[in-house]
Amino acid sequence: MARAANPHAMSPSRPGRTRTAPPQMPAQFPTQGRYLTYTLFGSTGILYLLCGFGALRAVWILGEHSPSAWQAFQREYATAPLIALHVVCFAAVIFVGVRFFSLFPKAQPAKIGPAKPPPRAILHAGLYVAWIAVSGGLALIMAGGIF
Amino acid sequence: MSEQKKTFVVTRFDPDKDEKPRQQSYEVPVQPDWKVLDALNFIKDELDGSLSHRWSCRMAVCGSCGMMVNGKPSLTCKDALSNYGDRVEVTPLANFPVVRDLVVEMDGFMEKLKSVKPWIIVAKERAVEEGTYRQSPEELEYFKQFSMCINCMLCYSACPVVGNEPEFLGPAAIALGHRYNMDTRDEGAAERNEIFRGEGTVFACSYANECSEVCPKHVDPAAAVNQSKINAVIDWATSFVVPRGGK
Repeated sequence: MARAANPHAMSPSRPGRTRTAPPQMPAQFPTQGRYLTYTLFGSTGILYLLCGFGALRAVWILGEHSPSAWQAFQREYATAPLIALHVVCFAAVIFVGVRFFSLFPKAQPAKIGPAKPPPRAILHAGLYVAWIAVSGGLALIMAGGIF
Repeated sequence: MSEQKKTFVVTRFDPDKDEKPRQQSYEVPVQPDWKVLDALNFIKDELDGSLSHRWSCRMAVCGSCGMMVNGKPSLTCKDALSNYGDRVEVTPLANFPVVRDLVVEMDGFMEKLKSVKPWIIVAKERAVEEGTYRQSPEELEYFKQFSMCINCMLCYSACPVVGNEPEFLGPAAIALGHRYNMDTRDEGAAERNEIFRGEGTVFACSYANECSEVCPKHVDPAAAVNQSKINAVIDWATSFVVPRGGK
């Protein structure tokens, strides 16, 4: 059973003479078919919100500027709920990244002035190469491999 | 050819009698090569002459016969009945007010189309003696894909933003505006980009990509909308550094 859409969806600015039945959303929206992917994509906003709270919490804990504050911060981030949140966030980042990479090549304008973008396949591959390079670089920094 | 029976569950709505839409079932003897529209026409011609639905060309050119078939937007003259089982549910296009049975209100759509100024805008009309406006095949390729739209409105019925935000211009209108922005004969991109930067236009799109999935002509309106986002921003940024937007 389809949900009701906004009653003014696709209505003309001046109502016609005939009484109309109100618009319905597509029957599969929001959890069936391809809409599920879209809904999941939108739901990642909740994770951004939680991460924002996490960052504020980190600032709060580290505000003491002491070694014990750093240890307290590390202890808190080693708890099961926060590890689970980060695993979910990691999956969400990959999901959003892949989705963005599929959109990015076709969102490029056909030309900007005289310049034309490279073929979509090259743009697509380039994004993944850049992603892997940046992730690898960050992993090296965090592991103490460089700097 | 062998004959098979399918049950068609069709939405009926008579604004003079019905409080709200209802469903009515019909047993239709279908042929293997029939499209969904053939079955609807059979119902209209043989079973129930009171059924109202739009159709015209029967060759996926006019864009009249868009409906929801088993919950998905479909151009019924192109959609083979063999794709469906024994029960086929036909409802009016989602996200549109229903005028009668399977006929939806199109005026809102027409207003949105018109609002993007879908015509070639030139600062000064060229005199006939100056010759024709020339365009190379490469320049045609920039926008040809976006000019293939047949205004069937399937993209509007698939788009979740259209159903939730009435002011959203929608995929086909934005793709049409983008088509003219990409046309080398046109000089109205700045005007249209100003419209595109407004409330409920290209930036209201959250990229469900359903418009491109259901488009029967492979126009890829999602690409047009997202290219328009970038063009609108570039045009806005350019206006600060280039006098009169470079015109």
